Amino acid sequence: MSPYVMLIISASLLLGTSLTLLSNHWFTAWMGLEINTLAIIPMMTYPNHSRAAESAIKYFLTQATASMIMMFAIIYNAWMTNQWTLFQISNQVASTLMTLALATKLGLAPFHFWVPEVTQGIPLSSGMILLTWQKVAPTSIMYQISPSLNMKILITLAILSTLLGGWGGLNQTHLRKILAYSSIAHMGWMVIIISINPTMALLNLLIYISATLTLFLSLNLTSTTKIKSLANLWNKSTPMTLIIMLTLLSLGGLPPLTGFMPKWLILQELVAHNNITMAMLMAFSALLNLFFYMRIIYTSALTIFPSTNNSKLQWCYPQTKKITLIPLLTVISSMLLPLSPLFITLS
Amino acid sequence: MALLHKLLNGTSFPKLCRMQDVARCFLLGPVFAGYPSRLYGSIKKTEAASGRSSPEVNTQGGLEKQTKGEVGLDLISPKEKIEIIFDKAIRTEIKDHFKLLAKELVDRWRGPEGCPLHEVLLENTRVMWQFRSDEDLDKWLVTSDRTIGGRSKAFLKMASNNQSALFHGILNTELPHDGETQRSGYCAMTSRIPRGAFERKKYYDWSNFNTLYLRVRGDGRPWMVNIKTDTDLVQKSQHLHSYFMFTRGGPYWQEVKIPFSKFFFSSKGRIQDNQQQLLTDQISSIGFTLADKVNGPFYLELDFIGVFHDPTHTEEFAYENSKKICGNL
Repeated sequence: MSPYVMLIISASLLLGTSLTLLSNHWFTAWMGLEINTLAIIPMMTYPNHSRAAESAIKYFLTQATASMIMMFAIIYNAWMTNQWTLFQISNQVASTLMTLALATKLGLAPFHFWVPEVTQGIPLSSGMILLTWQKVAPTSIMYQISPSLNMKILITLAILSTLLGGWGGLNQTHLRKILAYSSIAHMGWMVIIISINPTMALLNLLIYISATLTLFLSLNLTSTTKIKSLANLWNKSTPMTLIIMLTLLSLGGLPPLTGFMPKWLILQELVAHNNITMAMLMAFSALLNLFFYMRIIYTSALTIFPSTNNSKLQWCYPQTKKITLIPLLTVISSMLLPLSPLFITLS
Repeated sequence: MALLHKLLNGTSFPKLCRMQDVARCFLLGPVFAGYPSRLYGSIKKTEAASGRSSPEVNTQGGLEKQTKGEVGLDLISPKEKIEIIFDKAIRTEIKDHFKLLAKELVDRWRGPEGCPLHEVLLENTRVMWQFRSDEDLDKWLVTSDRTIGGRSKAFLKMASNNQSALFHGILNTELPHDGETQRSGYCAMTSRIPRGAFERKKYYDWSNFNTLYLRVRGDGRPWMVNIKTDTDLVQKSQHLHSYFMFTRGGPYWQEVKIPFSKFFFSSKGRIQDNQQQLLTDQISSIGFTLADKVNGPFYLELDFIGVFHDPTHTEEFAYENSKKICGNL
C-alpha cells in the first residue's frame, strides 16, 4: 500500500478512537466510531480479492447498523432527558438500545456472526487492527455509561458470548477464525464485570489486546493462517513456536501467565458480589477456549508433525523480517502476573 | 418442500391427472429442480427441469439409449400412478433434519468435519465424489443450453457395471431463435451445494489440499473444470474459477491432476483482467462444462473426483496482475 494511503488510514484510525475517548458529547463519540469504521475499510480491501471485499462489506453493514441504532438511542435519550453529555443514559430504552449497538460493535453474542467471517477474509494485519484497536472506542463508551447499563442484558450478552465463543472456536482449523472466536469470548468476560467494576473490564481488555497483538504479529511474521502451517513452524522458527504457545496459554487464562490475572480478578469480583453461579459458568466456558488453544499447542509445540524433508532446516537461514514489538509484547502477555497487586491497587 | 407443495395444491395427491402435472411442473418445476428425488421414489432427474425430453429421447437409439431408471423430471406418465403421502413425507423429512442436526452437534465435539483434529491435519487425500450408485448421481445437476432455448442434450447415468458415471449427450451449437443470443452450445454437470440440517448451505474446506484429482475417460474433447466458492452474496454468484481438462479419448482411464493454483478467475462468463487466487476454504461446487463449438455427440466417464496435497507443488497462484492490464490495481 502506498505510504501516503497508510498514513491517512492510520491517522484516521488514531483520530477516530481519540475522538471517542476524549469526547463528552454523544455526537462526537459517535463520529469517532464512524471514522474508525470508514478508515479500516480500505485496509480490509487492500488485497485484490473478492473475499476481502466481501468481508469489508459485511463489516461495514454490521457496523453501520450498529451506528444507526446508537444514533437512535442518542437522539431518544436527548429527546427524553434533554442532555447530550456522555456520562449516563438515564432512559431505559435508550440504555438498552445503546447496549445492543455497542454489543454489535464489539462482536458480542448474539451479534457476533460477523466476526469470524470478516476476520477470515482479511489479511492478518487488518485482522489485528480489527480485533484490538477497534474494540477500544466502544469499550470506552461502555465504561462511561456503565452505571446505567441493564445488568440482565449484560449477563445475557456475557454468558452467550463466552459460551458461543468457546463453542464456535472448537472445530476451526483456520487461525483467524480461532482468534475471532477468542475475541468474542474475551469480550464476554469484559462485559460481565463492566457494571460491577469497570476498571477490571479495562484491565481485561488491555491484557487481551497485548496477547492478541503478540499472536497476530507472530503469525504475520511467519505468514501462517492454518493450524497445519503452524504445525510445521518448529522447522522454520522455533522461538516463534514458543511465543505462540506461551501467548495461547496466557489467553486461555492459565497461571502463572498474565492472562490468568484478569480472569482471576473478575471471578473474585463476581463472587464478592454474590454472583457465584455466574462465576462458575464463566469459568467453565473458559475451559472450552482453553481446549482449542491446547489443541493448537499440541499440534505445533508439543508434538512433531510429520513433514517432508524439504521443509526441514529452514531455521538455518537468517531472519529477514523485523520482530520489533514481539519480544516486548510476549513479556507483557506472559510475565506480568507477579504485578497483580499493582493492578489491584490501581483499580 | 413437501409442505410447500401441499400448501400450494391444497389436498394430497391420490390421483394425478395430466393437467395437474403440467400445471405443477410449470409452477413448481424450478422449485423442485434442485430438490433430492426422495419424494418421487424411482423417478430420477437426468436433464434440465424445463426440458421435455423423454419421448424424443426414446426414439433415438445408440448413445442416447435410456435405461429404465432414467426419466425426465417433468414426465409422469398417466399410466404410472404414484402414491404420494405427504403427511408421512413431511414427518419423515422433519425427523431426518433433526437427526442431521443432532449428528452435526455430536460431530462438533469430535472435531472438524466429524473427525479428530489430527486426522484432519494428517489427511493428504480425500475422495470427494465417487460414482457407484444412483444415489451418487443425485448429487449432480445436469444442465445444457436447453434452458436458453438451444438444442443440446445431456444425460447422466451409471455405467460400467455401476463403477462409473457416464455423462453423455449431443452438443448442438444452433442458436435459439430469440434474436439476442450470440453463442450457444454447452452442456454441463455441476455438483449440488452441500446442505446441512434444514437445508443450510455448507461448504467444503479443502485448505489442507492443493490439487484436484480426476479419474476420467473422455472422448478427446476439451472440458472446463469449474469451481465455485461460497455464494452468499448475490454479486459473487457469478464468480467462477476454471481450468481446462483435455481428454484423450482412448480406452484407458486418464488421471487428471489440476493444482488449485492454476485455476483462473472469471465472472459472468468473462475472464477477468483482475485475477484472484482460488481460496479453497469455502468451496461450494465443482462442475464440468463442454462448450467446444463442435456439433456432435460427446461422452465423459467419471470414476471419482478427489483432492490431495502435493508437497512438491508450492505455487500459490499461477497468474500475475499487471497495472497495464488492470488499471485499478
